Amino acid sequence: MDTKVNSNGLIENGTKVDPVTFEVLRSIFEYAADRMSSVLQRASFSPILADMIDFSNAIYDADAQLLSQAANCPIHLAAMKFSAEAIIEKYAVSTMKPEDVYVVNDPYKGGTHINDMTFMMPIFFESEILGFAVSRGHWMDLGGGAAGGQAMDGTHIAGEGLRLPPLKIFSEGEVNQDILDIILNNTRTPHFVKGDLQAHVGCLKAADTEMKAAAERYGLNVLTIAMKQLQEYTESIVRKGILEIPDGEYFAEEYADTDGHSSEPIPIKVRLVIDGSNINVDFSETGPVVKGAINSPYANTASAALYSLQFFLAPHAPQNQGMFNPITITLPDNCWLNAKWPAPTIGCTTLTSAKITSAVWQALAQACPDKITGSTNADCNWFVSSVVAPDGTASVFSDLPAGGWGGTPYSDGMNVTEDPLGNCMNMPAESAELLFPIAYEAFELRPDSGGAGQHRGGLGAVFKVRYLSDGLLSMESARTLQGSPGVNGGGFSDVQRQTKIYSDGKSEVIGGLDGKGGWKSPLLANVPFSNGETFMFESTGGGGWGAALDRDENAVLDDVLDEYITFDTAWNTYGVVIDKDAMTVDSQATAARRSEMRAS
Amino acid sequence: MWRVGIDVGGTFTDLFAWDEQDNRQISSKVLTTKPDRSLGVMNALKEAGIEARDVSHLMHGTTTATNALITRDYPEVAMVTTNGFRDTIEIGRQHRAELYNPYQTKPRPIIKRRYRYTLDERIDVNGEVVRPLDLQAARNIAKKIRIHDIQSVAVAFINSYVSARHEDEMRDIILEENPDIYCITSSDTRALFREHGRFVTAAIRAATMPVMEQYFGHLEASLESAGFHGRLMILKSSGGITGVGYAKHHPEELIESGPAGGVAYAAYLNEVKGDCPNIIHTDVGGTSFDVSIVENGKGLVTRDHEIEWEVPVIVPMLDIHSVGAGGGSIGWVDDGNSLRVGPQSAGSSPGPASYGLGGTEPTITDANLLLGRIEPSLGGKMMLDVAAAEAAVSKVGERVGLSTIEAADGMVRIGCENMAQAVKKVITGRGRDPRDFILASFGGAGAMHAFLIAESINVPKIIVPAAAGVASAFGATAMDLRHDLEAFYFSAVVDANVGLMNELYDKLESDALALLAADGVSEADVIVTRTAQMRYVGQSYEVETPVPEGVLDENDLSELSQRFHQCHKQEFGVSSDDFEPSIVVLGLAAVGKTKRPPAVMVAASGNDAKKGVRDVYFDRQWHESVVYDGHALGPQSEVVGPCIVEFEHACAVIPPYAVGTVDDYGNMIIELNKVAK
Repeated sequence: MDTKVNSNGLIENGTKVDPVTFEVLRSIFEYAADRMSSVLQRASFSPILADMIDFSNAIYDADAQLLSQAANCPIHLAAMKFSAEAIIEKYAVSTMKPEDVYVVNDPYKGGTHINDMTFMMPIFFESEILGFAVSRGHWMDLGGGAAGGQAMDGTHIAGEGLRLPPLKIFSEGEVNQDILDIILNNTRTPHFVKGDLQAHVGCLKAADTEMKAAAERYGLNVLTIAMKQLQEYTESIVRKGILEIPDGEYFAEEYADTDGHSSEPIPIKVRLVIDGSNINVDFSETGPVVKGAINSPYANTASAALYSLQFFLAPHAPQNQGMFNPITITLPDNCWLNAKWPAPTIGCTTLTSAKITSAVWQALAQACPDKITGSTNADCNWFVSSVVAPDGTASVFSDLPAGGWGGTPYSDGMNVTEDPLGNCMNMPAESAELLFPIAYEAFELRPDSGGAGQHRGGLGAVFKVRYLSDGLLSMESARTLQGSPGVNGGGFSDVQRQTKIYSDGKSEVIGGLDGKGGWKSPLLANVPFSNGETFMFESTGGGGWGAALDRDENAVLDDVLDEYITFDTAWNTYGVVIDKDAMTVDSQATAARRSEMRAS
Repeated sequence: MWRVGIDVGGTFTDLFAWDEQDNRQISSKVLTTKPDRSLGVMNALKEAGIEARDVSHLMHGTTTATNALITRDYPEVAMVTTNGFRDTIEIGRQHRAELYNPYQTKPRPIIKRRYRYTLDERIDVNGEVVRPLDLQAARNIAKKIRIHDIQSVAVAFINSYVSARHEDEMRDIILEENPDIYCITSSDTRALFREHGRFVTAAIRAATMPVMEQYFGHLEASLESAGFHGRLMILKSSGGITGVGYAKHHPEELIESGPAGGVAYAAYLNEVKGDCPNIIHTDVGGTSFDVSIVENGKGLVTRDHEIEWEVPVIVPMLDIHSVGAGGGSIGWVDDGNSLRVGPQSAGSSPGPASYGLGGTEPTITDANLLLGRIEPSLGGKMMLDVAAAEAAVSKVGERVGLSTIEAADGMVRIGCENMAQAVKKVITGRGRDPRDFILASFGGAGAMHAFLIAESINVPKIIVPAAAGVASAFGATAMDLRHDLEAFYFSAVVDANVGLMNELYDKLESDALALLAADGVSEADVIVTRTAQMRYVGQSYEVETPVPEGVLDENDLSELSQRFHQCHKQEFGVSSDDFEPSIVVLGLAAVGKTKRPPAVMVAASGNDAKKGVRDVYFDRQWHESVVYDGHALGPQSEVVGPCIVEFEHACAVIPPYAVGTVDDYGNMIIELNKVAK
């Protein structure tokens, strides 16, 4: 290899940057995306952005190819490219000026669900565009038939809120008041709008500052070459990861419990075709568009398939377009994972994407069971509720109580951690109580909710919030009929459930199995709650990894002592005999019981 | 009498002392002793030839609390909390450190779940009791704590930041049943909202209190039996010192006790020289790189420090950012055939390849040796193996198509770029412009890398302080007594009750004065500064805003709003009068000034400053470079790059076009691009 380095950091006749400049620029690109997120989190006004960090930020090259991203929501990150393309399709790059900002949230134009507002700003250096800063954030409410747009009983996207086509919301730094006025008129939370908009602009400007500084130091040419090289570099790592998976076709199914109207679960059928260093994700066997609000448009489905694979191909590689190049997606025309206007889609990002992940991971587990983890609880468990403050002002309150992750080949799964689709935080009880007429009663681990296994699935949670005013609650959830599947012999986790607890302490299951042979849809739309009533949600854990009877007996004892599992589960599922007085394991009795259980 | 600073680090215990009568200064370095680090403190005194009875003030930085936390090595500790919140410290904020790693795990909770007890009680957001403390359950828990032989308990209830009533009742019951154990409340750590941070901080205090009480007890006993009757003062993470009595009961304030000394040294440089109010403090060790900033002579403070993922400490601390990058960082080639450096480190064992202690991986130290920046005999301390360094570096060079020397140069540049990114996190990450700063380089390996870090972040000037090798110990003797107190006050500025704010500030001030009085500071010697944590109504994060002095009136409130808009603009690049500023927390820092080590004018040692000439690699070519003895360079002497300046505990690398100047106090100032290219 010609290693002659010329003075400007280029090698090989100016076609590549030298290895050192490459590594330096890689750090700079990553830092720029991280800085965007730190500004957006701290400067935004909606709790769903500031407290729960339901947003994502990324930098794209001049061809709108992903260059770097911050560690936010994977489901946003792979879909944002389609939004950027939709903007560029409408507004030619040649017409763009510094400090122009574009906005789009149309799920059919590269959006995820309608609440996810995408902002894009071209980054100029010496009158040339060197790339784009793109920021996507979940806005608390953009209208629609239920608070937060969560019309989980809807049948038309018009019921989910204001759907913006690509629009230029800032021209050279000046806001377009007409567009802003339309948004302000179509939300239940106008008080968040200007502040969140300001935060998104601050975040885009932060990327602009960092990228300009890099261009000043290294020159536009070196930067442009390095961007392409970085994408090739990631692609080469991802391809190596794919080569390690045996060639073949691997099929798996997952389900949404319902679309809100069906009495039967709705399957996702995926076939992974591994061929050398390429993967085709084939959804051809998945059924047609459904009536309810879980349909997923192309960008959301493609994004879900891409991020799901990323976990097992090259989790540590720099995150850019190179991750996606070796992967193709096959989607039939009439498919609920390729929805088109006017199919309702509000559940696509929080529910459907997680089910796609679980299906893809289970397919991978057939190819390499020793590498894949048990499924996660596979849901965002996103709920939104209208509430009325004591002074009469209506507001919108929201949270995303997570479940557990699956056991891994090396350890137990993580307890109560946001699903792979996002990386959001929960709402602190004390922040929520200051802002809304509600009282948090619980957010704690739910014993026995993780799938059994040599490495146990992480636990889900018990979440309770009491209303101090009247409100209407909407929520999407699933896994109410069957828990998270395990792999490699690992068990299923428990099921999820939504319950209303009345002021007198009596309770009623409002979503999921009621324990009396009945089941209700976990897609809740405008369920009324009165002052003093409590909403309880039980999330599930992850699936187990490996056989429960192979779990270290002392790990089982520790689980009992810490009340991650009950004494009965230790005996019934793990076959571990514990002396209840001394709280020690009887190893001999355990060995005998386990061999008996294995034999039966 | 001596004023002594002692910093106990992972490997070395450093001492710096000065004599109050004749201004004599002395330093020493001994090995840190484990497990009882107080022995090393006594060894350092002995090594310096200082009798304990001749010490008036001993200022001590310690990582004992941090080590205990990281290794979870402390006596059994329990937590009592509100029903439904047993797992707040374990669930954290439910997000993950790595976006795509399917095998990641979370840190172990500070307190095991089996010892986290819950009971019925509830105080609402206004401080009203909704459900009284369940006294029977409280009693039962107190008895269980006795049965399990628990040494320390944290009581942490929801909304206790508004009313500590139930927490205090619970603590009293526990202490009635268990009079010999520690029991603390979350509202006593910091009465601030957002339960996760407050609960974890309480858990940290409960877990480390027995450890620190024992450690300081040993140290006090050893000092006393050696004849010490001076004041033992402890370095806090906030950048001030406090009496050992306070430190024992507030161990959560000691997390960055060691590095805080270095920051104080950086601030001291400005006090002495007067021309460097804004300093980037960097410290390069064998395995880690620490950075923080001093602005207008004061360390920048954060309230978001996490000792591990989702393990926050909510006390105000110097904003010290650490990354795994140092002399021992290893160069390697990744799956995409790219040259990488760190975060793995060869540490001191097996060490760099050139140490000949069994290491075969190429480290930054090996690379520096090949570039001619380190002298192979390390000033006679040990003989480095150049051939071993060459073999190790060439191995990675071949894989990425670079010659050995290019690979060595690349490794150092990449390692320094990793450090530069860490610097950016605290500079541009907080809206500061690096060009307003001077880079101060501490630690043995700091001055070797400073020019590359400075170039990367666009800082034109570097200072290598005279006592860089014992920086934290030196800084310890230049620190003020300090207490940071806070009160929760949640109100939009337009609705603020200025009378109530004055009352709250008065209370904070009298509490702070009482704490300082206990350390022997009279009211006249105290400087008080006031801040408010502020945000726009509707936001969730606060920006620290300076509060006007004196009794506040309505005009001060509008001034406060203006200041907040400015601070918001600085941190986030945006601000707007469209939004209503609001106050969340009132803060007060009370500082008791202490004596400073005198600025001693240095004289040249009298030796020939020019030790020799060797080839050093800069800008992709070899340069004949003079090697100087730093201690032989007198005040105002100037050296022109490329050259190397060797000090006892540090080595400064001065690249071409740069000029180094020694100031009157023995500090080396390096100006980059001083000479026209």
